[in-house]
Amino acid sequence: MPAKELVRPCMDCKDAEAILDTRKRHYCGECFKAFASHKVLMRMSKYKQMKKTIGQAPKLLLPLSLGVSSSVLLHILNGDIERQLAKTFVNIGYELNMIVVDPSTILTPDTKHDQVYEAVTKAFSKLTFTRLPLHSVFEYVPDMKEIIQEYAGPRYIDDESRSDEYRLTAFRAAISTATSKADLDSVLLTRLVAGYAKSLGCETVIWGDSDTRLAAKTLAGVAKGRGASLTWSVSDGMTPWGVAFDFPLRDLSKPELEQFKGVCKELSDIVIPDEPVSDNVLTKNLSIDELMMRYVRTQGEKYRGVMANVSRTANKLESTTGSDDALCPLCGGHVGNVKGNSGVTVANQSSDNYSSKFCYGCMRSRPEATC
Amino acid sequence: MAPTACFNCKEARAVIIRPKNRNKLCRACFLEVFETEVHETIIGTNLFYPGERVAIGASGGKDSTVLAAVLKTLNERYGYGLDLCLLSIDEGIRGYRDDSLETVKRNAVQYDMPLEILGYGELYGWTMDQVVAQIGKKGNCTYCGVFRRQALDRGAAKLGIKHVVTGHNADDVAETVMMNLLRADLPRLSRGTSIVTESGASDIKRSKPLKYAYEKEIVLYAHHRQLDYFSTECIYSPEAFRGSARTLIKDLEKIRPSSILDIVKSGEDMAALVPREITHSGKKCGSTAAVEDDIGGCGSQNGRTSGGEMAAMEKELAENESAESRETEIRLPKGQPSSVSQQKIIKKQTLGHCERCGYLSSQRICKACSLLDGLNRNRPKTAIEVSVGMEDEEISSTLMRQMERTQLTNS
Repeated sequence: MPAKELVRPCMDCKDAEAILDTRKRHYCGECFKAFASHKVLMRMSKYKQMKKTIGQAPKLLLPLSLGVSSSVLLHILNGDIERQLAKTFVNIGYELNMIVVDPSTILTPDTKHDQVYEAVTKAFSKLTFTRLPLHSVFEYVPDMKEIIQEYAGPRYIDDESRSDEYRLTAFRAAISTATSKADLDSVLLTRLVAGYAKSLGCETVIWGDSDTRLAAKTLAGVAKGRGASLTWSVSDGMTPWGVAFDFPLRDLSKPELEQFKGVCKELSDIVIPDEPVSDNVLTKNLSIDELMMRYVRTQGEKYRGVMANVSRTANKLESTTGSDDALCPLCGGHVGNVKGNSGVTVANQSSDNYSSKFCYGCMRSRPEATC
Repeated sequence: MAPTACFNCKEARAVIIRPKNRNKLCRACFLEVFETEVHETIIGTNLFYPGERVAIGASGGKDSTVLAAVLKTLNERYGYGLDLCLLSIDEGIRGYRDDSLETVKRNAVQYDMPLEILGYGELYGWTMDQVVAQIGKKGNCTYCGVFRRQALDRGAAKLGIKHVVTGHNADDVAETVMMNLLRADLPRLSRGTSIVTESGASDIKRSKPLKYAYEKEIVLYAHHRQLDYFSTECIYSPEAFRGSARTLIKDLEKIRPSSILDIVKSGEDMAALVPREITHSGKKCGSTAAVEDDIGGCGSQNGRTSGGEMAAMEKELAENESAESRETEIRLPKGQPSSVSQQKIIKKQTLGHCERCGYLSSQRICKACSLLDGLNRNRPKTAIEVSVGMEDEEISSTLMRQMERTQLTNS
């Protein structure tokens, strides 16, 4: 049989036409999927070890935004599970649960989300999905109402007769800037996910953050005075709430995950595409999180490795979880300085530091904060 | 619009919007608030002891001029009992230093402080203009930075002073934090934010009392106290990582004015979280750990970037990555799950003295001397060859270089 004549063969199988490039290699669709899946499953292999040690598969919670990254993670893990189920001796390293936080309770209502959610639960029918509104944070973190009341300060009036949904909306409406809004939304989302994971008895939450997103989160965390929380907010590690956070997509960039989605027809209808980035927004109207995502994405086009290195660097910081330092009741961050830091940034801010119960980063996003 | 009353005293008319928190203040209150914050920094960190002799690294620019003015004011107001003097370094950049040194000379008279000026020419045998003529405009900041760090210490040693204060401000510190994150430099991340840089082996202590002061507020302070300073930019190119970090910080400041301070706070916390075995190692083995890690770059370049350093690092990372795919994983027969927790042993720096000049160094030859080696190797040796043989030049000491220069200029 004559050999196939290929214009540009895939560098892995050499048997198909290469259709995409990444990291100076060109792949066919199947080989690229194998390459990306391998990166993720390498990270997941520790759960098999854990299963051996503890005698049962660890329970994992995957928060799903229905966007590109988390959907790709779900697809890869589902593929892994299916492959195992097809074997005679089934050995799945983990038990997977999914949570979707209803975006209509965070952003503007979107009818498309309901359809996609339906489609996803159908496509992955063997897995368990739960959809929760953001205000169920009050349910899974029982003292959250009191924390928010105290945090928001005396000028904020919480109407206890109203529904959870109303009360959370009122609190979020009291926050003035885009940065503080985005900051507190992510704090609340993290608390809800961690609280729900605990209620299910999950050991670990696996987040679908690409290395692009992790780099942006690292830089944004630093810029918001939350440097001390990086040891779990972007690093694989234990959180203050007894649930570990893990980031199995940390070896893949956002553009690569988009390439994955592009060659994976199963994902074509069940992913909500990212909002196109608008160039017509004034820098000062962006939130810090948005600014950093833009920065990392534009710089990442030219300096992919440098940007990937940012989250790797943060991942090397030493966790202080388990020490008896005071922690912020809202976000779980350090109150005051981390041990060994003799800086006086906190003291310098004494004028607006009316409650030392909350951490530096949360005080910056407080509703009454002047900046 | 009706004039707004000062946020602080509620009486005088507010003329300043504080860049740090957008409070509206009158002139007197702003000056007082600014000085009080520097005072709090000094007291909070026990920066000085009574009777201490302190050299102010003075460039004639806004930061060091404000530092000198504030320290003089605070020293008198709170009775620190400090013996202050000015120490200037002349890099030998024509048009950049000539005028600013004149400013420093005037400052010395205005503040009634003794002044010492040391030139690169007399210290190293090379002015920056000569260095640039030799190596071009790219990468010369390395030379300038390395030379300057040593020069300040040498100058202080000459004056018998053990504490040098520099005008680094919050913007500089924030930039350094971001920059070290971008270039994945954990050792420097662990040191860059601390107010005092001091190594066990060095007897000269460096500190930055303005580390919590915003660059914009320093400009306002200088303006409202009508301080005599020289405003110019270094005419040579800045470093790419710093340039990128600087642009980012300017954008952040527009979104949330407090973010410069917030980055400093994050940087201080992260410094405490850097694993111990990394803290005392230098990533780029070069010069003295604590002396060298001070904030590099010049006072006031804008975010111009050549991209060279970032591109170089990107290339290196890409090469590492492609090499990784060619690696074969070798597993030990008995699978130890703890392979992740096994710490890589990091080579520690041990401080010694440079064989050539005797300056503190972790290497056999200090960074400045090795840079000078490179420069001297390519220097036209017309007049020198008569008096200095090749062999002598190989081991040329500072003194030898000084002679060299004298001969060059004479010929």
